[in-house]
Amino acid sequence: MEQQLREIEKDALSAIDRAQDSKTLQELKIKFLGRKGRLTSILKSLGSLPKEQRPLAGKLSNQIKTRIEKAIQKRLEALKDLVPGPELIKGFDPTLPGRRLPPGHLHPITQVLNEVCLVFEKMGFSVAQGPEIELDFYNFEALNIPPDHPARDMQDTFYIDDKVLLRTHTSPIQIRTMEKMSPPVRIIAPGKVYRCDSDVTHTPMFHQVEGLMVDRNVSFSHLKGILTHFAQEVFDKDTSVRFRPSFFPFTEPSAEIDIQCVMCRGKGCRVCSQTGWLEVLGAGLVHPAVFRHVDIDPEEYSGFAFGLGIERIAMLRYGINDIRLFYDNDLRFLNQF
Amino acid sequence: MLVLASWLREIAPYEADHLEVAEKLTLAGLEVEAVEPAYPWMEAALVARISRVEPLSQEKGMTLCTVETGTDELQVVCGAPNVHEGMLTVYVPPGTEMPDGKEIKETQIYGHLSRGMLCSQMEIMLEGDASGIFDISAEFPSARVGQKFSSLAGMDDLVFEIGITPNRPDCLSIAGVAREVAALYGIPLKIPAVSSTYQEKHLADVSIGIEDPLLCSRYVGSVITGVRVKSSPGWMARRLAASGIRPINNIVDITNYILMERGQPLHAFDLDTLAGRTIIVRVSEEGERIVTLDGKERILPEGVLLICDKERPVAVAGVMGGLDTEVTEKTTSVLLESAWFAPWSIRRTAKLLKLPSEASFRFERGVDYDGQLSAALRATDLLVELAEGSFEGIRDENPRPWKGKKIAIRPHRANTLLGTDLDAENMSGILESIEISVENCNPNKIECSIPSFRPDLKEEIDLVEEIARLHGFASIPTESPVGELIVEPAVSDKAFVDQIKIFLAGQGYSEIVSYSFVSPEEIQALGLTEDDPRTRMVMLKNPLAEDQSVMRTNLISTMLSTMARNLKKRNMDLALFETGAVFFNRGQGVLPEEHQRLCCAITGKRFPQVWAWPEQDADFFDIKGLVENLLEKAGIRESIFQVSTAPEPFYIPGTCMEIISSKGVRIGTLGQIADQVLKAFDISSKVFLSDISVPAAMEAASTDKRFCPLARYPAVDLDLSIIVDDSVRVQDIFSFIHQNKPDILESVSIFDVYRGKPVPKGKKSLAFRFIYRSEDRTLSEAEVLALHEPLINTLLGEFNAEMRS
Repeated sequence: MEQQLREIEKDALSAIDRAQDSKTLQELKIKFLGRKGRLTSILKSLGSLPKEQRPLAGKLSNQIKTRIEKAIQKRLEALKDLVPGPELIKGFDPTLPGRRLPPGHLHPITQVLNEVCLVFEKMGFSVAQGPEIELDFYNFEALNIPPDHPARDMQDTFYIDDKVLLRTHTSPIQIRTMEKMSPPVRIIAPGKVYRCDSDVTHTPMFHQVEGLMVDRNVSFSHLKGILTHFAQEVFDKDTSVRFRPSFFPFTEPSAEIDIQCVMCRGKGCRVCSQTGWLEVLGAGLVHPAVFRHVDIDPEEYSGFAFGLGIERIAMLRYGINDIRLFYDNDLRFLNQF
Repeated sequence: MLVLASWLREIAPYEADHLEVAEKLTLAGLEVEAVEPAYPWMEAALVARISRVEPLSQEKGMTLCTVETGTDELQVVCGAPNVHEGMLTVYVPPGTEMPDGKEIKETQIYGHLSRGMLCSQMEIMLEGDASGIFDISAEFPSARVGQKFSSLAGMDDLVFEIGITPNRPDCLSIAGVAREVAALYGIPLKIPAVSSTYQEKHLADVSIGIEDPLLCSRYVGSVITGVRVKSSPGWMARRLAASGIRPINNIVDITNYILMERGQPLHAFDLDTLAGRTIIVRVSEEGERIVTLDGKERILPEGVLLICDKERPVAVAGVMGGLDTEVTEKTTSVLLESAWFAPWSIRRTAKLLKLPSEASFRFERGVDYDGQLSAALRATDLLVELAEGSFEGIRDENPRPWKGKKIAIRPHRANTLLGTDLDAENMSGILESIEISVENCNPNKIECSIPSFRPDLKEEIDLVEEIARLHGFASIPTESPVGELIVEPAVSDKAFVDQIKIFLAGQGYSEIVSYSFVSPEEIQALGLTEDDPRTRMVMLKNPLAEDQSVMRTNLISTMLSTMARNLKKRNMDLALFETGAVFFNRGQGVLPEEHQRLCCAITGKRFPQVWAWPEQDADFFDIKGLVENLLEKAGIRESIFQVSTAPEPFYIPGTCMEIISSKGVRIGTLGQIADQVLKAFDISSKVFLSDISVPAAMEAASTDKRFCPLARYPAVDLDLSIIVDDSVRVQDIFSFIHQNKPDILESVSIFDVYRGKPVPKGKKSLAFRFIYRSEDRTLSEAEVLALHEPLINTLLGEFNAEMRS
């Protein structure tokens, strides 16, 4: 018995000496002195000893217990001195937050609009602008939408008088640019547009970006090339893009461009009405009638035009569910971008 | 447009799955926006067993039925005479929309809660008995309790909701969509045939006259007598209901059925109500009146196309029939109208009368120019068959008959435009698949004859589009264009404005974007004088709301209302800016003046409350400092601030500063917003604001920078502390120093302003730092003082100042 006790003491003391941190010491304490520890189990077996040996063995084991405890305590203190603590300077707390001027935020519309323009500027398109209050001629007639044309129903128009209106799209900039410049033309034209419509997905004012490329031999396959590149730059490079026939009076053939739904990756969800696709762009080859309006010979030149809504892209990008938030300008909204 | 899948398949017998067809149509330009059950009430309906029938004592004939629906047991009050225990019938739960548009609701009837409805065949649009509820087991022996009725009865049909673009009126019918399906799958088109013998019959006593063939190029009238007006058979009613058209009676339903089948709107007159059995198509005179089918009397302006009898207008052509001549239960003789009206005329009328209808929608887009006779004959067939009528004859006034239309397409041109490599045979095959007949096809030219139902095909490019969409956009290669560099690109202010925006965000200001339209009151609240150009507002003719009825002439009012809105939401510390267009009226018919402005404003605390510095309210010098920095960053040098002699009315007088460019142009203003203006916007904190013209700033800005050699000799710094009267302006002191500046004075700055003890009341202490330096030697202090002291002495005299000890 005594032999066993001495062995336990020896093991314990040498282990304590080797311990490098308090966690190990804690474990050693449990290993030797805990309820199921080695020393404790010996003490439990005291009853099996002859009566006369019991007091001696009891006394010895208590001494050993005290010595182990003391050794642990001593080692703990030694470790404290051994490990260098963080350098402390009296009265200086480096954990306080930094002194900073709170930054301002660009409106999310501006951020997305700039990003969209940049994709095209890198490809040699330059920014063009036009008035927000337009003549019927530029907004409709020169774009092959004569009076009484049903296509006027596609856009609910705010009128100032019979000839003057709030532009319903950025497409009039196409006409104004082609009046001033001769081909080759490559422009990207961002701006505010207006339609009398207001609900969770429509505001009476919103932002569009218009693009136009006119040159010799520009084809529909070029339109596909440029817009596929655009969609993959703005969303991600694995985004699938789908071109689908549609109708705009000022382009022919006309296309709507869908990207694979960014929410469900094409599986079908509420955002894409279970179709797996999201419509993001309208585009097409410039209609010969538009060229004739600006005295460009459609036999010599061809071109493509496209338009997209910035709010829609921003809503998809940031997961915004109510378009009206953009115009409420609540600081708690603005601060998130 | 709603297209019933089984109806579509009847005309274009495709084998493919409905959803695959939907996808294919979408990719051919007929966007299928949704695919829904055709009969939602049948989808909801369940086979149910009546387990118990208790007569209701309060009301004779009414019973309280206990109904088992497979998953539920509930009670329904029912008035049908044929209810009995153990009967299998059709149960429709609350929330279901029935064919008549009514929604089934949980209701209290005679003190009992009735949860749903037990239906007769008629009520769910099945052929059969209407006198009692549907005893299912007789007709469907295999029916099981809890089964969906739609699948049991084979009524699990689908409808495609197709967005038809305005250029494709030919697809506003089942046959039109079927033509596309047939072309896409290469299958035959089976449009229901008409009885050709009808064409030879003529009428002696009915006359039809067209006054202006440009407005109505054709009018076909078919007369059917001895008709019995009643409900349509279930199959027809169901097809109409699935197409979104409410069944009315067999005569009206047949006209609508043909409208859906072929896209040709028809109108049925009660022939006996037509004075003189005569039809005259003419335009209205000012003030003519007609009571339309909806019971409203309409007073017409001049020029509305009308259908008249010998005495009066009987229909607004292509838009709505008249009440006096409509088909009623008493009608026995019908004159069926099938006509072509000029699209623009119908569009104007429908807009004018605010009466859009299925008919006007098609006429204004253009119905088949040559489709009137066959549609009339097909409808006549159905009237004979379903209304027990007898066909008397038909009259076909056709003053401007279809002469055909020819367009040629050059295959190489099509390939150049599309980026494809299709040969002429390939292209002509595609065109023929949609019934364009190719008359001559060679590698240089394909000559085509265009069918009468395609008014959208007018020139070569239209055929190029047909080839592109049917060949499939996906099959067109994806390529990068090659183009020469453009050395004179378009000009815009975007780069300049973007630079300012980024700078302002860096200064802690957040960008807002607000609507360009505001309420006139908002602008008036700024207190502008009558001759101020900002009162020349552009008004919208059709605003959505009064508070969005004028275009803004400034950004100040929207800035203040945005601040007010934020303050109400307890966003108390605001530093905001906006750039946007403002508009000034220049009169009718001309574009308003339009230019970009920039507005910056701050209210509340300068910085949010943090441990790092004391909380301080923003003040005038925050906005002024911002603008000073902005001018520097934008390269607007040598601009000056001057106290405005004609201050803006919305600033507190005396705080309005003008920013003047080196050329003397006013770039903008800044100041503290006046109390009465804040009150009008419901703002109770102080607001400091600056309003800047973007074009003026851009004009004054320069990117020129000139390097100045770095000083090689040390400077002598001298501080000066003086006490002056409170009314003395620092800018005047600076001007004075600059006017009397010794050559070696490099710069002067002010580094302290102090009022209070020991400075006497009404005075302030100002501390300046003078820096003297020579370019070519080290200055001695004595040399500097010799120039500095006389300068200070004259300064003290000029401003009646004394040195602070």
